[in-house]
Amino acid sequence: MPDLHGIIYAYHSSSALGELVFHRTSASLPFCSRYRLIDFALSSMANAGVHDVGVIMQRDYQSLLDHLGSGKDWDMSRLTGGLTLLPPFGQHDSRIGEYRGCMEALAAERSYIADIKQSSLILYRGDVALNLDLRAAYEAHLASGCEVTAICTDHPFNGGGERIRFVPDSDKTANRMLFPGAENGRALCSSEIYIIRKSLLLELIDWCRSNARLHFHRDALAHYLESGAKLGYYIHRGYISRICSAEDYYRANMDMLDYKNRADLFPTERPVYTRVRSSVSTYYGEESSAENSLVADGCFIEGSVENCVLCRGVRVKKDAVLKNCVLMQDTVIGEGARLQYVVADKYTVFSDGVVLSGSSGLPLIVPKGKSV
Amino acid sequence: MKKECIAMLLAGGQGSRLHALTDRAAKPIIPFGGKYRIIDFPLSNCANSGIDVVGVLTQYQPLRLNSYIGSGLPWDLDVQNGGAYILPPYQIAGENGKWFSGTANAIYQNIPFIEMWDPEYVVILSGDHIYKMDYADMLAQHKAHAADCTIAVLRVPLEDASRFGIMETDGDGYVHKFVEKPQEPKSDLASMGIYIFTWEKLRQYLVADEADPNSEKDFGKNIIPKMLANRERLWAYPFSGYWRDVGTIDSLWEANMDMLSPDVIDLYDRTWPIRSRSPVRPPHYIGRDAEITHSIITEGCDIRGSVSNSVLSSSVTVGEGARIDYSILMPGCTVGPGAVVQYAIIGEGATIGANAAVGAPPNGKTNILITTCGPGSAVANGGVIPAGTMLYAERRDG
Repeated sequence: MPDLHGIIYAYHSSSALGELVFHRTSASLPFCSRYRLIDFALSSMANAGVHDVGVIMQRDYQSLLDHLGSGKDWDMSRLTGGLTLLPPFGQHDSRIGEYRGCMEALAAERSYIADIKQSSLILYRGDVALNLDLRAAYEAHLASGCEVTAICTDHPFNGGGERIRFVPDSDKTANRMLFPGAENGRALCSSEIYIIRKSLLLELIDWCRSNARLHFHRDALAHYLESGAKLGYYIHRGYISRICSAEDYYRANMDMLDYKNRADLFPTERPVYTRVRSSVSTYYGEESSAENSLVADGCFIEGSVENCVLCRGVRVKKDAVLKNCVLMQDTVIGEGARLQYVVADKYTVFSDGVVLSGSSGLPLIVPKGKSV
Repeated sequence: MKKECIAMLLAGGQGSRLHALTDRAAKPIIPFGGKYRIIDFPLSNCANSGIDVVGVLTQYQPLRLNSYIGSGLPWDLDVQNGGAYILPPYQIAGENGKWFSGTANAIYQNIPFIEMWDPEYVVILSGDHIYKMDYADMLAQHKAHAADCTIAVLRVPLEDASRFGIMETDGDGYVHKFVEKPQEPKSDLASMGIYIFTWEKLRQYLVADEADPNSEKDFGKNIIPKMLANRERLWAYPFSGYWRDVGTIDSLWEANMDMLSPDVIDLYDRTWPIRSRSPVRPPHYIGRDAEITHSIITEGCDIRGSVSNSVLSSSVTVGEGARIDYSILMPGCTVGPGAVVQYAIIGEGATIGANAAVGAPPNGKTNILITTCGPGSAVANGGVIPAGTMLYAERRDG
C-alpha cells in the first residue's frame, strides 16, 4: 500500500462555469449521469489503497458535504484516519477570504499537513475527470528518486485553457517547466496532479509564506527547480479532461458517449465509486425512443432521447424530443417539449411544448430549480 | 433492549420450483424488476414501516444471501440498537442442533433471538413475495382488535381460491375458519403468508407444536388451525394493493412483466422506496442503432440491439442486431450480436452466443412457454434453445 496521504483541492469554482457553480464548487459538479467530479480523485486513491484523505474546501461546500458524507462510499470512513474535511477556519492560521492561490490554501492547512503520518502526499485537483492508476504513478515516483512527481500526459487535452508543460531530460525525470505561451517542442502536459514528499511540501509552504508567494507552479515549483532539482513524471495515457467552463463541462459529458472514453474512465479493474443512492431502474414507455445516450437509474422516459446524458430521476414526458442535452438530477421535461444543446441543472422543470435550443459551441445553461 | 415489534423473515426455503435459478442460491436473492432482489421488498417494507429489528432465517444456499444482507445498510437497518440479523440453524450445548424442519420450527429454534428484544408483537414474513405494505398499519389494527394473530388477506378470483390458504371471516374480519387449498372454497380471502402475532401467545403455540410429534411444524398447516380450534382471536387484515408470490418460473416472469406497468405497482413512488444493495456501475448506454420500447433498463447495461417488453438488471450487454422480447435478463448476462431471446429468463452471468435463438413466442395454440437459462449457463453461437427448456450451467465441480 503506497505511503501516501491524499489532498484534494475542492475550494475552487472557475467563474467560467457560471450558473453551474452558483451553489457548488467545481469538484461537486455532476458528471456522466451519476458521478461528481471529485469521485475520480477519491476513487483513484481508494483503488490504490490510499484511505487517508483531506479535502480542502472554502465556500459553497454544502453540496460537497452532502455528497461526501462520512466518506463511507469510498471506504474512507475509518477508525483511524479516513476522510477529513478541511473547511476554512479549521486551523488557527487560516485566513479570512478566498484563497488567492494553491499555496495559500495549503498554508492554511499547514498544521494538518505537518501531522500526517505518511511521508508523501498526492495533491489532486477536484475538477479533473481521469481515472489515474495511482499505484503505478507511485511506483514511478519511487523509481525516479525525485521528491516531486508530476502526473502528465504526452498529448494535449481539453479543458481549462493552456497547460503547464515539463521538458524531460531522461525517461524518468524532467528539469524544465514551460508556462503557457512558451516555445513548442517536446514537452509533457501537466495534469496538475503531483506526488510530493511531505518534508519538501512543508518547506515550500514556509518559503512561499515568508516570501508572500501564492502559487504552486509559478512560485513553489519554480523555486524548487531553480535550485537544480529535478522532478519525476508519470504519463497517464487514458482519457483526461479538466472542467473549467460551461463549454468544458458540456464537451466532457458528450465525450462520455464515446465507448473508448468510457472504457478509459471506467475500467473494471479500477471502479469509480460514488455516493450510493438506491433507486429504481429506468423505465422506457411504449412510445419512447433512445439512441446514443447515457442514462442513470430512476429515469422515466416516455419521449425521445438522442445524444443525451441523463442523471438520476429525469422524467421525459410523451412526445418530448431531446437532442444533445445534459440533464441533471430530477429534471422534468413536459409533453411535446423540444430541447437541443441544453444543460439543465438539478430540479429544473420544462413545461409542455417548450422549445429551446443552444448550439454545440454554446450550450444553453438552465440554472438549478428554474421553471421554463 | 426492548422493542415493541420485530420482524422474522423466512428466507431458508429452497425454492425448488425455480429449478436452475435456485440451483446454487436461495430464492430470496433472485434478481427481480431490474434493480432488485426479491428480499428487497420485505426488507424495505420493514424499514419503511419503522421496524428496525429483522431476523432473516436462512438455511438453503445461504452464502450469497448472507453477504447481500450484510449489516443491513442499504435498507437503513444498520442501527446501533437493532438491525438485520442472519439467523442460520445452530448447535446447542449437549445437542447436535438440527435443520429448520418447517416454518414454525424455524421460529421456535430462534425463540432466544426473539426474546433478546422482549417484543410485544412479532411479524412473520416470507422472502418470496413482491408487494408494498405498511406493517405499522397492520399492527395498529392488530392492537385495536386486541388480536392474538392478524393475517394479511387478499381477495382473489373465486376460481383461483383453491390454490391458496382461504380464510372464512364474519363481516368485521374475525376469522372463524381457515382451509389450506380448499376444493370448494367458501370465501375469496387468501392468506398472503404475512402474520402478526402477539408474542406471548405465539410462544405458547410454538412450544406446544414442537412437542406434537404429528405436526409438520408449519404456520399454515399447524399453528393457525390450532389457534382457531382453541378459539383464539384471529383477525384478517384486508390488503388491496399489488401482491405476487414469485415461487415458480411462470409467476416470476409474470410479476417481472407487471413491473412494466407502473400503474399496477409504482416503484417510482418516493414515499415508499424499495431499496437494494447494488454495485456502483456507470450509467447504462443505449447505442446508435439500439431500439428500446416498454422496458426497464439498469445501470451498467450496454445495449446495441433492440429491447422491447423486457426487464434488464445491471450490467447486461446486448450486442448489435440482437433482439430481446418479453424476457428477463439478470445481472451481468451477455447476449451476443444477432441473437434472439423471446419469452425467456436469462440467469446471472449467463452467456447467449451470437445468432443464437432462445425461446419462442406463444403460437396461439399453446400457452406461453417460458425458457430459462440458469445462472452461469452458456448457449453456443448459433445455438437453438426451444421454448420451455430449463438450461442448467455445466457443473465444474463434478
